[in-house]
Amino acid sequence: MKNRQYSLKVFETKVDDEAKFIDFFDTNYMLFKDHLILIRGEMSDKIETYLDNKPLKFLHNKSLPIGRSRKALEEEFKMGMTPNNNVEECSSLKEKFKLLEEELKALEIENGVNQQIAQSEILKVKSEIEELSNKLDNNFTVLDTIIRSGRELNIDGDLLLLNRVNSGATINTTGNLIITQVVEGALRCDGNFMMITVSPKANIIFNGVEVDNSLLENKLNRIELKNREIFITPVIKKEINWAS
Amino acid sequence: MGIVIAVISGKGGVGKTTATANVGLGIALNGKKCIVVDFDIGQRNLDMILGLENRVVYDLVQVMDGDAKIKQALIKSKVSENLHFLAASQTKDKSVLTSEKVKALIDELKEEYEYVLLDAPAGIESGFEHTIEFADTAIVVVNPEVSSIRDADRAIGILDAKSQKVKDGEEVDKFLVVNRINAEMVQSGEMLRSDDILDILNIKLLGKVPEDKGVIDASNQGKPVVLDSKSMAGQAYTRISGRICGQDIGMKDIESGDSGVFKKLAGMFR
Repeated sequence: MKNRQYSLKVFETKVDDEAKFIDFFDTNYMLFKDHLILIRGEMSDKIETYLDNKPLKFLHNKSLPIGRSRKALEEEFKMGMTPNNNVEECSSLKEKFKLLEEELKALEIENGVNQQIAQSEILKVKSEIEELSNKLDNNFTVLDTIIRSGRELNIDGDLLLLNRVNSGATINTTGNLIITQVVEGALRCDGNFMMITVSPKANIIFNGVEVDNSLLENKLNRIELKNREIFITPVIKKEINWAS
Repeated sequence: MGIVIAVISGKGGVGKTTATANVGLGIALNGKKCIVVDFDIGQRNLDMILGLENRVVYDLVQVMDGDAKIKQALIKSKVSENLHFLAASQTKDKSVLTSEKVKALIDELKEEYEYVLLDAPAGIESGFEHTIEFADTAIVVVNPEVSSIRDADRAIGILDAKSQKVKDGEEVDKFLVVNRINAEMVQSGEMLRSDDILDILNIKLLGKVPEDKGVIDASNQGKPVVLDSKSMAGQAYTRISGRICGQDIGMKDIESGDSGVFKKLAGMFR
């Protein structure tokens, strides 16, 4: 699925006097040729053909989603996201996720015995698991505070951290983890992937496996779990300083 | 209304008390009224470094408990009349401190003095928490070594979490003093550069103090090194005190090590 998102300008008006209306758009055509004209109230066929011939794109008596201020959006977000609600939802999802994983294991065992029957079942459960894990990881936190020694962050969901993790600090996430600055503390990430800069002093445990720091040699590295195997790939390559 | 500055480090033995004594005296020499308070209850040291140990009659705990008035307990410095000193108790334990008592004392001192310097104990226990609780700003003293920096980082973390100013929604300004810099070791890469330390701690730089043998002798004699205008460390503390008093003093590069007399001579024959 390919998506695009863009804003457009809308000119909302009303037809009181047809002659005046036509005159207005004749003189100001250049101003409105890229606008969407929204007409409120009654509109005759004459105006419709006029706009079509101009050409001007228009809508008649449609209600459009009008952008709200950032504050209004934030308040709406807070209203919908009472913390209790969210945690409960998350934990119930997790339970479901666990059950599905157990089911998958059982099916895989069964698969060894009777291949053809179990194959389609496995695929079905797998897709369900994938969907659920995406949902689980949607709980997203962004932080721009330095994580100082002695601090322990426990994040339920994904974390994007835009500051340092100092020696002696610990970060635990159940979801994905991206840190854009140097890490000197300990990281425990149980998500699908994490992105880390060169961090020779960090202690990184990804899905229960300790990641060797010497493998994180690029400026930004992606560590991900595919088919129970850990892959480390460069996101931003090492910078070569030719001058020195 | 004065400004309350807590001098903290986290780790012990990095020169916190020496820095407090020197900065306090430096501020006083700039003509500002300053009081240094030793908050290291049970391990009093500041009196010795200021050379005032035989003048201590009443201590901080007695003042807080109401056994003595502040005026009785204050000790005037021999060197500068602007500098006063309040000693810690050597016999009591730091558990005697409570928030109410500390606040009452600091409020009273703030009325009287332009600068109130609090020498925090090492570590991050209750004594430390009481020191930083009502501080407006903090001076963080570190040595250029990893353990000192990590402990300072922890101390800053606690300061940012527990200080009253932070609870009121404001921010406590934190300033870094890098103590005991050895230019040669920095040059050879054995010692952390202060830029690296600033990166890790993410606070503002107040000053760099070079390693100087004169500091120990000065402490032993009770004459803070800031009085010695020939000493490198003394000059550094003079600059730091000037900056605290609002003077615009540029940061001197003491890490490149090119300032030595022999280096200069060698440069002439090059």
